[in-house]
Amino acid sequence: MATLTESIALEGAWQEKVTRFDVQQIIQHAGLMVSFILLVLTGLPQKFHELAISQWWTGLLGGIEVTRSIHHFAAWLIVLVCLYHLVYIAYSTLVQKRPFPVKMIPGRHDFITLYQEIKYFLGITRERPRFDRFNWREKFDYWAIFWGMPVMGISGFILMYPVEATHLLPGWVVPAALIAHSDEAMLALTWIFLVHIFFNHFSPGIFPLNTSIFTGKVSKERYQREHPLEYERLSGGQEGIK
Amino acid sequence: MRRLGFLLAIAVVIVVAIVAFRSTRADALDKNGCLTCHSNPGLSTTTKAGAKVSLFVNEALINTAAHRYIDCTTCHSADPHKVATPLTKLSLAEKCGSCHQYEYEQHLNSIHGQQLAQGNPDVATCVDCHSPTANPHNVIRVLEYNAPTYKKNISETCAKCHDNQQLMANYGIVEKVYESYMRSFHGKAMQLGTYEITQLDKATCTNCHGVHDIKSVADPAAPVAGLDNLAKTCEQCHPGAGVEFAKGFLGHKEASPDNIPAAHYTENVFRVLLISVLTFGALVVSAAVVRYSINRWRD
Repeated sequence: MATLTESIALEGAWQEKVTRFDVQQIIQHAGLMVSFILLVLTGLPQKFHELAISQWWTGLLGGIEVTRSIHHFAAWLIVLVCLYHLVYIAYSTLVQKRPFPVKMIPGRHDFITLYQEIKYFLGITRERPRFDRFNWREKFDYWAIFWGMPVMGISGFILMYPVEATHLLPGWVVPAALIAHSDEAMLALTWIFLVHIFFNHFSPGIFPLNTSIFTGKVSKERYQREHPLEYERLSGGQEGIK
Repeated sequence: MRRLGFLLAIAVVIVVAIVAFRSTRADALDKNGCLTCHSNPGLSTTTKAGAKVSLFVNEALINTAAHRYIDCTTCHSADPHKVATPLTKLSLAEKCGSCHQYEYEQHLNSIHGQQLAQGNPDVATCVDCHSPTANPHNVIRVLEYNAPTYKKNISETCAKCHDNQQLMANYGIVEKVYESYMRSFHGKAMQLGTYEITQLDKATCTNCHGVHDIKSVADPAAPVAGLDNLAKTCEQCHPGAGVEFAKGFLGHKEASPDNIPAAHYTENVFRVLLISVLTFGALVVSAAVVRYSINRWRD
């Protein structure tokens, strides 16, 4: 048993924050979140137009024209955020000569940890998988956007400019774009609200809000618990994680 | 004191104004007092053939009808009790046409009017679209929000017949035109728009198919017959649309291997993707919820 002062000191050390995200990444997540929420709030009533709540909500926003304008504005915003992200990656690797973020690339380790985590959830093992900088769920979210953004962006711009689109492309792209846009939107929305929010905000030890993506900082204690491999590598070499 | 007197004077003016202008009742013109008897709901007569015909005229409806200031005898002749002509849809349209000549001419040349002239009782004539109760005494002006021909209500008015699958089967119209319209961009925009006229610049049935001059889709002169005509119709609202744009129209049908196959296969691919990914997500989350609950219960 540690003495009271010792435990306070220990507690203090554990509470010490480690920087996990830089300011650019914080801005990118915030931009993505704001535009995504705007798109959902203005997209859902357009999909479920026959529901009374959709008609009420559209009326509250000022009618279908305003709802569509907000949807189009948020669409440009989310495209801008994604371009910002690509420029950020290119700039940090090509100009700043920082290493390419290889830890985001999926690999064998992710399938192993997925398998281990499901075993843990099902009670087959009591050991939790040990994650590196990004766990399989975080990588899934990231790459889902990498797939989803072109699908939503291309289909969305076809729907935004149908006349111009059919000058360049065959006529069937318009009905096909509507289906792709609608279904992919439901996929993204359900995944974000079911899986992303659950694991990143509603899990034990995190609930009700994971502030790391908003402040960029995580306590050492949580970092070690959630990303042990990364934590060990960072703290093993030298003191003070950067 | 002067201030109080001033306020009192204003109050009196307001009260007098309210009392004076309160009555919003607009009585229909009834020079000969027809409504004295005909406002009785039980009033009826029996024809020579033995059919009972109601002679009731609903005063409440006629007081707000478009023709409320046109006297009964304008349509019913100066001595209406002498007239024994059996009323038909065609004679009804003829009567409207005695004033609305242009619309009547167009109607007679339309698919509805041609059928009407042949004695088909199924088809729509003036009152079927212009009155919510298909009653000539209750015609409502087009720009009144409760008119069946108000822009926002037109699709439902057409649907009274065109959403009746049994009736439409007689004419070879198998497409679910109302449902597919409501699913379309135009239908969605119309449904999400309010009743404000500024929100109603969306296409409804009549924008593509025509109004009084409506033609059968099989008629080569119809605005929706053939891609060239269809493209011209699209261009009324979508400048520069062209034939390729018109090709993207699903034709009131669902996408299928025969009808815009690309859209059909896109649908299949995304259904599989949606179901598989979400099932995976739901399973992982459910397993995690169970595990976290057990962990908490054990602590």
